Amino acid sequence: MTSTEAGAQPALPGGRASRPAPRGHLPADPASAAPPAAPTPARASAARRAGAWRAAATPWLFQTPVLASLAVWVYGPLVFTGVLSLLDWDLLSPHPRFVGIENYRTLVEEPEFGNAVLRTGYYVLTLLPFATVVPMALAIMLWKRPGRASSLYRSLLFLPVMLAPVGYALSWRFVLDPLGGVVNETFGAVGLPQRDWLGDPTWALPAITVITAAKFVAMHMLLYGAALSGVDRRSLDAARVDGATEWEITRHLVVPQLGRTTALLAFLCAVFAGQWTFTNIVVLTEGGPDYTTDNVYYRLYEYAFTYFDVGTGAAAAMTIIAGLALVFVVANLPRRRRATG
Amino acid sequence: MPPVDPTAPGSAADGAAALARVTASTPTIRPVPEPPIPRRPALRRATAAGPARRRGRRWRRAARAAGRHGVLVAVVLAMLFPMLWALNTSFKTPSDVYGASPLPIPPTLTNYRSTLDAFPAGTLLVNSFVMAGGVTLLHLAAGVLAGWSFVRYAHRGQRVVSALVLVALVVPPQSLIIPEFLMVSRLHWRDTFVGLIVPQLATCSLAVLLLRQHIAAIPQTLLGAATLDGATDGEVLRHVVLPLLRPALGAVAIVVFITTWNEYLWPSLVAPSPEHTTVQIGLQRYQNQEGPDYGPLLAGAMLATIPVALVYAMASRRITDAFLHSGLR
Repeated sequence: MTSTEAGAQPALPGGRASRPAPRGHLPADPASAAPPAAPTPARASAARRAGAWRAAATPWLFQTPVLASLAVWVYGPLVFTGVLSLLDWDLLSPHPRFVGIENYRTLVEEPEFGNAVLRTGYYVLTLLPFATVVPMALAIMLWKRPGRASSLYRSLLFLPVMLAPVGYALSWRFVLDPLGGVVNETFGAVGLPQRDWLGDPTWALPAITVITAAKFVAMHMLLYGAALSGVDRRSLDAARVDGATEWEITRHLVVPQLGRTTALLAFLCAVFAGQWTFTNIVVLTEGGPDYTTDNVYYRLYEYAFTYFDVGTGAAAAMTIIAGLALVFVVANLPRRRRATG
Repeated sequence: MPPVDPTAPGSAADGAAALARVTASTPTIRPVPEPPIPRRPALRRATAAGPARRRGRRWRRAARAAGRHGVLVAVVLAMLFPMLWALNTSFKTPSDVYGASPLPIPPTLTNYRSTLDAFPAGTLLVNSFVMAGGVTLLHLAAGVLAGWSFVRYAHRGQRVVSALVLVALVVPPQSLIIPEFLMVSRLHWRDTFVGLIVPQLATCSLAVLLLRQHIAAIPQTLLGAATLDGATDGEVLRHVVLPLLRPALGAVAIVVFITTWNEYLWPSLVAPSPEHTTVQIGLQRYQNQEGPDYGPLLAGAMLATIPVALVYAMASRRITDAFLHSGLR
């Protein structure tokens, strides 16, 4: 049915057969093994072989749904994207034209995609504090004084993950509206400059960052909370008895224990910054003004579904995947070096 | 040195494994109930030399608590103010939207009425619900079967399978939309629930990994006892594993349902027509058609938000726990 299974099925008998080998150093094939004791009746051996085969097939049977889903909706499309990235096609004409690496050259030579990569980098950098420092501070605050108030704050602070993203973005648009939005009214009242926040090339990207930041703060605060539940509160009390201030306790006792979590969450920020800003970009700015709020996923979407330039879109997709793979490798380097050296 | 994960063959999958390991291992860290620490009144009295100093300390502590609450309230407001303001405005009369009075006095449902006239909110909410429910069921089914197989029949091929699942977890779904869209169009699945639901199996990895974790936590002796009593593997799965798995299934269902409910990109591509799409896309279309006519628009935003917000208000602890256990998204 799927390529994954077709590839996996023949490998099975070998996998099974090699297993008992180390025990008695017997050859895997029962025919050549010819044990010196009473030979097994042929029928029993055939039955056993059928049973063994069924036993070998069972796990694959259970995994068929997942393997089929991934083959059809992840790995198939992955290969398909690779093929499409070598074609020049507008989604409509019956004969896509093979153009080789032309689409990749377009990505490199025309400024839009480079700009989108750069902007995605800005998003990652500006969201980084909201993915690490801010949620860490909040989580520590709540953790230090457990109680009903903390639970309430925790529930409220998690809301941005729950709220419908389009609705949330729309409510921000209303608040930031240049004509009569609350933010501008307030700024006007206290003498700060009023702006068209989402239409101003300087301010649109920070605005999208702040709106997306809520989701990062909410999600990561929860994860920091999980990491903190592994920290022993009694050590804090010991430090308090020794006269340490709250700040010293936080700085030298709590934060160092969150190092690994912080590294992971920074990494997640790098991966998800582009994906989580996507909806806000679609709803609020459509990449504008002047491509200043663009990101790679939005560019890919525009190539494929606005300009119907499937090849370039697919090339962008492949570039994104390659870039992410690179991020993975880089994120793993320190760990690997420690393992070897 | 971190423990070496046997399921990680390559560097990319290594990162994925690290990710999944850390996120999947969070569920095991449950807050351990600690013995209450005595406040040590004797010590306090000994260090606080006189009543004046004690009063100073009390004042300082009150100030610190006030500062703490101030910061927290400020953050909550910064995050939720737009939504609250939108809720507030949605009850104002259209002419009052930018009006001077901050509160909707008297509150009116005019905006909600014009929203319901302009776009089929009921249908869209039902569509969202069916899509999220369908995706949740598929993910759970695939996850239970595969997770069970991982735990029960550990053998060589499983390493390949778990690597495939891990890598699929980190391939961003947005990057695969072009071929997925072409496939769905070719199958004539556009504007159908099948087209909305089935391709979202692409993200079933999370459910598989989480449920595998939970099934692995079931004591082997329990399964062995059932087998000794003559139960077949299928019976063990149905009568032993599934009942024990119910809380985990609930948690995974919550996470998958909410993420799918909030999904934007896929339904916007597959379900373009206004009657077959989900509430998120309906809202976005409505915004584009009407321009910023904020009264009805915000009423629509509230309609899209309120179901999830209500559920959250009723079961916030359970939901945050569920997200905590899944770690992602």
